[in-house]
Amino acid sequence: MYRPHKLSASGSVLIAVLFILLVGTNAYAIPAFSRLYGTSCTTCHLDFPKLNDFGKAFKDAGFKFPKDDEDFVKIPPVLLGAPAQKDVWPHSVWPGQIPGMPPIGLRMNNFFQVTSGNPNRFAALASPGTVPGYIPVSDFETGLFSIFMAGNFGSDIAFWVDDDISVAGDNGAGGLGDGYLKFVNLGRVLKLPKDALSLRAGQFELDLPFTQARSINLSPYDIYAEANIGSISSMVSPQNVANQFAFSDAARGVELSGGHTYGGYHYSVTIFDQNTSGVSQSANVNPYVPSATGGANGGVGFASDSSAKNVYARFAYRFNLERDSGSRNAIQAAGNTGPHDHTYLNLGTFYLHGNSLQRVVGALPDGTSALLSAREPYYRAGGDFSFNYRTFNLYGVYMAGRDNNLLPVDATGALIPLPFADNSPVPVKFISSVPAKFNGGFVQADYLALPWVMVIARWDGVHSSADRINGLLLSPDAPYFGAVHSTRNRFTPGVQFLIHPNLKAAIEYQFRPQQTIQVSGDGVTTALQALNPFRVNTFLAGLEFVY
Amino acid sequence: MNRLALISIFVSSVACITAFAGDITGKVTARKGESVVYVEAIPGKTFPAPAKNVVIDQKKLLFQPHIVVVQAGTTVEFLNSDKVAHNIFWPSINGNKKLGHNMGTWPTGEKRNFKFDTPGVVPLLCNVHPEMSGFVIITPTPYFAVTDAEGDYKITGVPNGSYTLAAWHEGMKIQTMPVTVNGNATQDFSLSK
Repeated sequence: MYRPHKLSASGSVLIAVLFILLVGTNAYAIPAFSRLYGTSCTTCHLDFPKLNDFGKAFKDAGFKFPKDDEDFVKIPPVLLGAPAQKDVWPHSVWPGQIPGMPPIGLRMNNFFQVTSGNPNRFAALASPGTVPGYIPVSDFETGLFSIFMAGNFGSDIAFWVDDDISVAGDNGAGGLGDGYLKFVNLGRVLKLPKDALSLRAGQFELDLPFTQARSINLSPYDIYAEANIGSISSMVSPQNVANQFAFSDAARGVELSGGHTYGGYHYSVTIFDQNTSGVSQSANVNPYVPSATGGANGGVGFASDSSAKNVYARFAYRFNLERDSGSRNAIQAAGNTGPHDHTYLNLGTFYLHGNSLQRVVGALPDGTSALLSAREPYYRAGGDFSFNYRTFNLYGVYMAGRDNNLLPVDATGALIPLPFADNSPVPVKFISSVPAKFNGGFVQADYLALPWVMVIARWDGVHSSADRINGLLLSPDAPYFGAVHSTRNRFTPGVQFLIHPNLKAAIEYQFRPQQTIQVSGDGVTTALQALNPFRVNTFLAGLEFVY
Repeated sequence: MNRLALISIFVSSVACITAFAGDITGKVTARKGESVVYVEAIPGKTFPAPAKNVVIDQKKLLFQPHIVVVQAGTTVEFLNSDKVAHNIFWPSINGNKKLGHNMGTWPTGEKRNFKFDTPGVVPLLCNVHPEMSGFVIITPTPYFAVTDAEGDYKITGVPNGSYTLAAWHEGMKIQTMPVTVNGNATQDFSLSK
């Protein structure tokens, strides 16, 4: 019978002491935009990094105040050319400007974790002579130390770069998050309505309904992390699907977008690199084919595993339900006690199409050895909603994924058992079979009970029978873990406290899906049975500051 | 003849006023910034409310001016010149939370008025831009002054008599001092946190 592990008394005391110590400090840390405009984080954020309506408008405008931005800038910019230079273009460089001081922000977080249902109790099931790893019940964990900078060049060209300098205490283990240029309101060149067309190029998080990269949650959305890996079991229809793509991955490409995220319509279309095998850019080099940065001769290699590109599209419309007609069209609604986010219902949909490429060494019909490529079209499609009333926000995503499944066959037309082994027959072609599918989503409620207290309740659900089968059969001769059910539900309540506008304490408790360590076949039906199912519930506390 | 009489009356009046009213001058030592010095309530004496309104603007995410001194009964006009939404509220007057008030939100270019009747210090805040800070100092008498950059002040036209003089500076304790005006008077202040 499952019993959740309770937080130990010592753990509770420790967290309380840490909280009190931090409350007692007098930190006045100001990230880049706060410095530039001399304003507080709460101008744009509800509970950082969650944006309020003004923050969304600021971002849409290219990291500028939507109107009269120059009036609010407290640090004068450095001109890279007098504005009158525009009059003599093309006989001069079009003038621009840079922020008067480097718009740099830094971010650091640390965590404390308590786990229940610890798999250590199954250590005795390890193979003879092996000592399994030990998982502590409680643990202090170093998080991220990140640098980020953003701003604009005075015109409608915005930039963003964030990089994890250190992850889990390892220097340089993080890498680039987003790094892009955005040409805002490019549509004016084509005489399109204002903000109807912008272009973003570089590396960035896809225009997801709700951001993962800048989420307030301590734990990621499960559906965004879902990669579609087909079942490898011979007990069910085999699947030759190994698509590593997940929505939480950064995309490298070009995005066209328009409209506003704080009202009315919003769309985006992104064309980005395909990398379904998860190839490392630094490893994908060839000395005879230089990449843009030089290939093997000091460069960084290629980010794609295919010449084809993925296409991602999103459309959303926000219905403004604000009752106050006077402020309905303003960025924020007016109220008796001050401006606040509008009451609204945002409905959206998204679709991604790509081709998952799998290469195997096979043979042509004449027996000649050849590299065979299975291009398996796949899609991700879904919808999302967000309802906001004052400081209460209810939102969610549903998504379904499907990958075509091309199975290798030998010269006789017989299916080749998967996974490939040394003595597997040589494949000569692929035939279509049962596609690999998954679906799921999340629903989250955020309630800003006080300007500094955010209460969160979230449900995550992912349905993938292949995940269950693969987990159970991963290593049948040693302790192993897999999901007990094809649907993995997780409930995560949490609360976050802004100690200062730039300093936050957050806790959440993750009621995780059941796992199992042993499996056996039912004596009658031979169906897989999970034995000793248990849960690894997690209590997680985090401290985060930006400055 | 009538003209000469009028001139005589005028000269006499000026002489009388000069004889029975004076200036209070001095220096306030405090942190950087303006201080406010004013004559506390005078028992048995009331003053008519000023007819002229005073304007406080919200511009460039700042209350402008940062400190405003008005006599009790003055109406303050709160203007929003920014093209962002603002709010004005004060959690208390002189620490009395019952006198706290929220003015709400209003569009760019518009004003909302409030008549301040209770003397005291009104800390102005904006609930969407918590860094914004301003003060309205409501004095019980029309005798007040704001210091210059060196901390010097001058309150003019104070009738002869004995009064309590108060000095206020942002973030520091209000200090009161007795002062006797007989022609002119001098009183310095040294404020602390």
